[in-house]
Amino acid sequence: MDVSQYLEIFIDETNGHLQNLSDCIMSLEKDPENMDTINEIFRAAHSLKGMAGTMGFKRMQRLTHDMENVFQEVRSNNMSVTSGLVDVLFQCLDAIDAYLENVKESSEEGTDDNEAIIQELNDILAAGTGNAPAKEEKPAVKEEPAQNEGEDRFQKKYLDIEFSEKEKEELRVSEEKGMKLYGMTVYIQEDCLLKAARAFLVFKAVEDFGNIIVYNPTSQDIEDEKFGFDFSFYFASETELDKILEVSKAVSEIEEVVGEKVEYKELTAAAAKKEEEAAAAAREQEQKKEAAAPVPAAGAKPQTQPQAQNGKKPNAGKPVTNRTVRVDIEKLDALMNQVSELIIAKNSLVSIGSTSDGGVGSSNSQAFHEQIEYLERITTGLHESVMKVRMVPIESVVQKFPRMIRDLSKKLDKKMELHMTGEDTELDRTVVDQIGDPLQHLLRNSADHGLENTELRKKRGKPETGSIHLNAFQEGNNVIIEVSDDGNGIDTENVKNKAIERGLITPEQGAALSQKEIIDFLFMPSFSMAKQISDVSGRGVGLDVVKSNIEALGGDVEVKSILGEGSKFTVRLPLTLAIIQALMVEVRGEKYAISLGSIETIEEIMADEIKFVQAKEVIHIRGMVIPLIRLDQLLDCEPEEEEKESLTVIIVRKGDKFAGLIVDELNGQQEIVIKSLGKYINNSTKIISGATVLGDGEVALILDVNTLF
Amino acid sequence: MANNISVVENGKKQFIVVKIGSEQYGIDISYVDNIVRMQKITRVPKAQSYFKGIINLRGEIVPVMSIRTKMDLEPDVFTDVTRIIILKLEEHGVLGLIVDEVKEVVTLGPDEIDKVAYDAKNSKSNFINGVGKHGDELISLFDTNSIIDETETV
Repeated sequence: MDVSQYLEIFIDETNGHLQNLSDCIMSLEKDPENMDTINEIFRAAHSLKGMAGTMGFKRMQRLTHDMENVFQEVRSNNMSVTSGLVDVLFQCLDAIDAYLENVKESSEEGTDDNEAIIQELNDILAAGTGNAPAKEEKPAVKEEPAQNEGEDRFQKKYLDIEFSEKEKEELRVSEEKGMKLYGMTVYIQEDCLLKAARAFLVFKAVEDFGNIIVYNPTSQDIEDEKFGFDFSFYFASETELDKILEVSKAVSEIEEVVGEKVEYKELTAAAAKKEEEAAAAAREQEQKKEAAAPVPAAGAKPQTQPQAQNGKKPNAGKPVTNRTVRVDIEKLDALMNQVSELIIAKNSLVSIGSTSDGGVGSSNSQAFHEQIEYLERITTGLHESVMKVRMVPIESVVQKFPRMIRDLSKKLDKKMELHMTGEDTELDRTVVDQIGDPLQHLLRNSADHGLENTELRKKRGKPETGSIHLNAFQEGNNVIIEVSDDGNGIDTENVKNKAIERGLITPEQGAALSQKEIIDFLFMPSFSMAKQISDVSGRGVGLDVVKSNIEALGGDVEVKSILGEGSKFTVRLPLTLAIIQALMVEVRGEKYAISLGSIETIEEIMADEIKFVQAKEVIHIRGMVIPLIRLDQLLDCEPEEEEKESLTVIIVRKGDKFAGLIVDELNGQQEIVIKSLGKYINNSTKIISGATVLGDGEVALILDVNTLF
Repeated sequence: MANNISVVENGKKQFIVVKIGSEQYGIDISYVDNIVRMQKITRVPKAQSYFKGIINLRGEIVPVMSIRTKMDLEPDVFTDVTRIIILKLEEHGVLGLIVDEVKEVVTLGPDEIDKVAYDAKNSKSNFINGVGKHGDELISLFDTNSIIDETETV
């Protein structure tokens, strides 16, 4: 059976189920008695098994089958959840994840049988229930609810189908050839998102055994998803019905399949049959009512009634409809590029408009300006919409962290808890894709270096369980992600000694360093403070990678730490990557753009207001002492002969630090498209973060003021 | 390598002949994307000395290199025949080279090209991987890869 076209759906869904399982197992560990969680796990494991089975991934299917077995017992109160079981379950998840990775790469699940894990699962099962792992038991349990419900809820809708002459002919011919005719109705789970795909999988599975002759709704309608949650068909085959029912049920998200062998003669006697059917339906209705009575009662104590659980299955917590379209990120990039071009074109119109005032008649010019403003509104709106399309919540990245911290907690033998807020904070897709590793590093760093071991924490009067916080929120044009812990904090003396020891600085230099400068050593390549190298960290390839990764995304990292109380890493990321609002300035006739996001105020000062602190120029303004940076000197421009009396200073801000940039002229605000300088130009100082094309075709450089602090 | 260049016929290659100072140089035509007139170059602070800056080529930002500075010749003098040769190099992207003048396109066969031995002492010859003979004129052939090489000390 060719299922390759469903591979992507499979991968996506498996990912979803795995995450779900991971979350549930985490909460199960805290609350082992919670039946809702156990049921959720059972369902997820069951869906995984079904999906793996459909796709023909036998090893994955076997593993999930055994997981399901264990939960079957847990659910029936035959065994309890132990921490050992949770460990093994996490191993299972990792193993399934490994299968999934293989599937992603090669469309094969790989050859690792994971016998050890399966063995452990079965051992736990045996120990927990007090008997040998009874594999045969399982299908029986599964079969039972299916049959019960099949009688009540699922009618044989295929009996209602009316045939065309052509179809009748085909049915007749098939029967004459000695094939058996079957009528079947398939019910799809109501929360299924891709009904057509499921229907297709069922048809594929069935067509291995014979030919489908009649579809209801028509195959075209099924393909277009123009059907409810069931569809019926007749087909001719030489195989037995059971086999066919089995393969169709194996397709995931199929709730039930009902079917039986039919005779051509019976079918053609349609009128008679229909009356009978109506009667049958009435009978079934009655049966259903009878059957319905015990169900609510059973629902009251679900742990003893797996049937009731299965009945509830379709409504389990998932959003029923999801009006989304998947779009290739490259298409979005192309769209973004076009928006960028549009903005450049708009900017050139703006610049023509502002220069051609004299030439054009004044009434024309007025209309022209109005239209340009209109165009400006549209392009800005368009840009925002495209940006929003590219925004995704960071949730997809951070949701794996609780599990990671749990594993670290075991591995490092420290008690710790992760508290996360702001998982719904949105960032550009490209940023989200690359933020995972740096954040993971920071969390590991907090867990390993930050938090003290339990005894020390007790001694210091801190709660035994260390806490790590991950907070994300938006601040202006930036998204801030803070990773903080209540651990030891950074011992700057220690770091300084290490730096001296490694010959990075002399002891004299060390004495003059500020705390921040010392902490910056931690971000240097191969500078590790860990006394021994562990699996977790200590190879000195942590924080420098974090820093360079985040800087590559146009962001930066800051650390604050109080010895004995903990440390906080603040990651600042730009909301958008491609287009920003910027202030255009001129320095010695050269044009530069400064992102509006980092500008605090613009001040006119007199030259004699400049004071000196430690031989550096500062200004004292509204109670703040702000260091001044002369951009012409910084950017190696030709020095100006005469000092001007009045200076334009742009006050920029990074976090809680300020600096004043002296520029010659302000050229107003503009929406600019950021373009890379390319790989040739050595930009090691990173002062220039890119370039942009102005309306008149000139190129202006974009100053990254974050590098000035 | 610069040697696996476009083959015109029987191993013949085409070169764009440019003038830098008094010497004639050939640039393998398969690397040349475009030739544009001199235009305003935006200086990039803190860049390598031989990068004059960047230009806007139909909305693309293209870095422009002064091959004179790179070869330790006297600085560029811009005239109305000065051109920027836009090179397109796989992986590395687009790069502009300032030349004094663009003369012609020549086709050279293997027998018309003499290989030049690598001379570590002479930084200028490092950019040349052959000398082409076209009539009575000699054309130094640029090794495009070594032009973009970053090993040179700034």
